Amino acid sequence: MSYNLQNIQILLVEDNQPMLKLIKTVLLSFGVGNVITALNGEEAFKEFCLFNPDLVITDWMMSPCDGLQLSEMIRTDPKSPNKFVPIILMTGFSEKRRVLSARDGGVTEFMVKPFNTRDLYRRLHKIIEAPRQFVKCEEYFGPDRRRKPKDQYEGDKRRYNDEEQVIDTEAEETDESSLNDIDFR
Amino acid sequence: MDVKHYNQKRLRNAKFITPPNVLKAKVGYGGLSDAVLERAQNVLENNTEDFRPLGELYLKQMKDGIDYVAKLGHPTNEEEDIARILFPCVQLKANGGMFHYPLITRIAERFVQFMEVVEKLDPETLDITIAFYTTLKIVINGEIKGDGGPKGHALVEELNGACMRYFEKHNETYGNNPTS
Repeated sequence: MSYNLQNIQILLVEDNQPMLKLIKTVLLSFGVGNVITALNGEEAFKEFCLFNPDLVITDWMMSPCDGLQLSEMIRTDPKSPNKFVPIILMTGFSEKRRVLSARDGGVTEFMVKPFNTRDLYRRLHKIIEAPRQFVKCEEYFGPDRRRKPKDQYEGDKRRYNDEEQVIDTEAEETDESSLNDIDFR
Repeated sequence: MDVKHYNQKRLRNAKFITPPNVLKAKVGYGGLSDAVLERAQNVLENNTEDFRPLGELYLKQMKDGIDYVAKLGHPTNEEEDIARILFPCVQLKANGGMFHYPLITRIAERFVQFMEVVEKLDPETLDITIAFYTTLKIVINGEIKGDGGPKGHALVEELNGACMRYFEKHNETYGNNPTS
């Protein structure tokens, strides 16, 4: 059994025609049912409002409206039909500050060009199988920006309220025999 | 323990929302098979798009940027001035490798790394920029596809060397090999 992408609609935004054509062909060979295209962010937002696609894949550097501005419109404009739609941002930039600014612009995944089909598939798979929850606060609305899995630290805990210490204190106050039941690793 | 600090009213309340996974509901289970991915990769690798017109367009934009900065007659660290040269080069980096010119991607990537680190465009950095531009032009005009073999490797090493010499000369500003 494999994914059936026939029922999904993707909005692909790219100002470079040969690249647009190439990525569209790749998506169709994945089995995607419908790929809508646009040449810049402004045109793309109109298409987005009209068709309400399941996924947006957009280039960053475009004029008059770039991929990040498109992302912000999708996330915040009252006319947006789906503020939660996953957005993959493609770009030639790979420097950290650029990635961080894309992350803060509300994109779901970031993909550095040039890429191969497995790079694209990995992001698609991640969006389908491990979607990000959204965060809404005063200064940001978009996918959760935290990328690292929680609590990978396995060393000694040092804070007063770390789990072992709390248990330790409680144990002292209650019954020493219960210490045998506590794992102090 | 003084808990007063923690009892203050929160300034920023973040709300977490889990949207329905519409995509998952539509596509089902199982991923895409290796056969599908290989077929798609073949489509990508065997594309017959002619990169040269596109490459020439970005080269022209890069040259216009170089000329603009040279005409300023003074060093600049304005983001807008740097972008005139940097952005077309990012496009060359992004597109070269997709259209059978991985050497363009390698050279342009090195230049992007250089430009992301330098503090200003002055005659010295502009000379390095022109060296990158000239090399990119040779590769595109000569239609040197693939990695360019040993000559391609030597070209990249030479440009890399120019960047390293610049950083070593300005060690007090950049430290050792800031882009390596």
